[in-house]
Amino acid sequence: MLSLVQRNEDEVLKETRSIIERSCIPPGISSIEMPPFRDPKTFLAQYTKPDSAVKIKFNRGTTTLAFKYGGGVIVAVDSRATGGSYIASQTVKKVIEINPYLLGTMAGGAADCQFWERVLSKHCRIYELRNKERISVAGASKILANMVYSYKDMGLSMGTMIAGWDKRGPGLYYVGDDGTRVTNNIFSVGSGSTYAYGILDSEYKWELSDTEAYELGRRAIYHATHRDAMSGGMVRIYHMKSTGWVKISEEDVTDLHYKYKEAEARQ
Amino acid sequence: MFETRPSSVQHPTEHRFNPYEMNGGTIVGVAGEDFAVVASDTRLSEGYSILSRDNPHLYQVLPKTVMGSVGFHGDCITFNKTLQIRLRMYEYENNKKASTPAVAQLVSTMLYSRRFFPYYVNTIIAGLTNDGQGCVYSYDPVGSYEREVYRAGGSSAALIQPLLDSQLGQKNQGSFELNRSYTVKMSKEEVVALVKDIYTSATERDIYTGDAVFINVITKDGVVTEHFKLRRD
Amino acid sequence: MEHPKQQTQNPMVTGTSVLGIQFDGGVLIAADLLGSYGSMAQMRQLQRVFKVNEKTVIGASGDYSDYQFLLEKIMQKVNQDNCLNDGYVYKPKQLFSWCTRVLYNRRSNFDPLWNRLVIAGLENEQPFLGCVDLLGNAYQAPCMATGYGNYLAVPIMREFLEKHNNRITEAQARDVIDRCMKLLYYRDGRAYDKYSIAIVTREGSRVEECKELQTNWSVASQISSYD
Repeated sequence: MLSLVQRNEDEVLKETRSIIERSCIPPGISSIEMPPFRDPKTFLAQYTKPDSAVKIKFNRGTTTLAFKYGGGVIVAVDSRATGGSYIASQTVKKVIEINPYLLGTMAGGAADCQFWERVLSKHCRIYELRNKERISVAGASKILANMVYSYKDMGLSMGTMIAGWDKRGPGLYYVGDDGTRVTNNIFSVGSGSTYAYGILDSEYKWELSDTEAYELGRRAIYHATHRDAMSGGMVRIYHMKSTGWVKISEEDVTDLHYKYKEAEARQ
Repeated sequence: MFETRPSSVQHPTEHRFNPYEMNGGTIVGVAGEDFAVVASDTRLSEGYSILSRDNPHLYQVLPKTVMGSVGFHGDCITFNKTLQIRLRMYEYENNKKASTPAVAQLVSTMLYSRRFFPYYVNTIIAGLTNDGQGCVYSYDPVGSYEREVYRAGGSSAALIQPLLDSQLGQKNQGSFELNRSYTVKMSKEEVVALVKDIYTSATERDIYTGDAVFINVITKDGVVTEHFKLRRD
Repeated sequence: MEHPKQQTQNPMVTGTSVLGIQFDGGVLIAADLLGSYGSMAQMRQLQRVFKVNEKTVIGASGDYSDYQFLLEKIMQKVNQDNCLNDGYVYKPKQLFSWCTRVLYNRRSNFDPLWNRLVIAGLENEQPFLGCVDLLGNAYQAPCMATGYGNYLAVPIMREFLEKHNNRITEAQARDVIDRCMKLLYYRDGRAYDKYSIAIVTREGSRVEECKELQTNWSVASQISSYD
């Protein structure tokens, strides 16, 4: 500990630290009020019970996946949001465009993901202005993890993947609502993730071509929407390249269903 | 959404004051090519009694931006008041009125500021984009939002939304082609007529909707309000 | 975080229904004089309608101590207005809005003022009638009632107003209020046969002397189905 204090921190490190320290409550955006009771998680739980007259139903996201391969990172998501058993929307944007080199995904509470990734995009921009270079994927995901960690046990709900491209090449991190932050080649998050993993794991390899990679992501999400009632709508595919992200496709799962059935029949 | 704690740690269920109430009401928003329509019924309920038959759930927050907000009426009033203050501050600080997309983002952050003790409200913002297109934004109670072509909110949402999907979205009707447009291809008059039909139908089956409907049509010239009577039983 | 201090979690001495109705050129509110302590009819000369100023009157049902607290705050403000002597007085809409904020903030701190207020007056010569409850819920209507009155009196008042196209005279308003108070006395176990009226017209506002209901219990002996 002593050695840490004595060590001469360089400016970049100091700046990064100050960003993280101040990032708990997002200044200038809006402050989050603390509730007049001890446990917001249990407080809100009483209004999500089915027999409660007052039902505060947050929109929830569902199947998302991302994987690294030779050509970059593929991010694929569905677009359904459910509030209880009601389909609140079939057109949700579960890929959050943080900046041209960073993408975030949405699973869990839609508002939690949208809000904190917006705050993250502000921090990333400030970092860029201060340091004349883009923030690393590791750095960006760590800011997010630190922010949500400071609200641990208060009932935040988010399972997000941060995908990007920096000096180290393609980057992919998972950040959870409890503050977990891990990196890996493949992630899938949400209630349909088990189905997506099944497809993904069976056909994934580092040497995939771009089109093969898109098709793998698409098929994984399609199959998840087919078996998981909480997933559906359309399949959105993004590709993170060295030049930044590109939106690849946006297809209704019903279209995909008939397309795959037709292909099956031809074989 | 939140897992409950194991019973050993769980607090005893206190019979506490309940800060929320459901006061009913239904709102509908539709975005047209150069207009937006936002409508609401005028009934305010509390349990099984009707408090007021003349209380539209629409709040004109700017000359060309209207907010529809239903759920707990106390929260609706408070949220509207706070929003008006924030928009006034915006005007003083920026020497211009906020655009509808700017209002939409502000509403989202304001709803999220009460993440741990939420406003129990369903919100729709309707207005025009900077290039004059109609736009509708819809929210959940803690501020997740999305721009949409049409949206129903409030007590009859689950009744109305499927009808809108069929009549405005032409969902699952042969052509599976994705509709990438943010607006409907209907005229103001057609949309207003549809909204009237929608409300008469919703009133037939929802006890929290009725009395009358206020329809606001927003165009580049401002907001025109139309009033239409519904069943009062 | 510790629980903040919470005062009224349930009401002690309570008042029942308050009725309010608009008429041509004014508005009046009425409430009986009973203060109930649970099911005991404890206080029988409890004034529940008050004059705020020449333009505004207020009435409340629910916890009486919370009502007194709020009235004290209102009267401090009225006093300040008078001291400034600039001709400015609280208009009903302003008082109504202020009350919604106070009650909403108290509910948001889990420390509600256990009342349902009825605020009446003349706003730019137009009758104003508004209601605020303990959650900060608020609305305006041409007629309203709190408590049991909401179930028993409102339908009668609404029907009467609708029949007369929302334009009734002061005498008609008094008559319908008297009928409603009588009905409430017959059917609401916490109601009383003495009530007072607060009225606002162009001439100003006043709280009138208490009235006693002329009731008829001769049918009581015929009722047998309840025992």
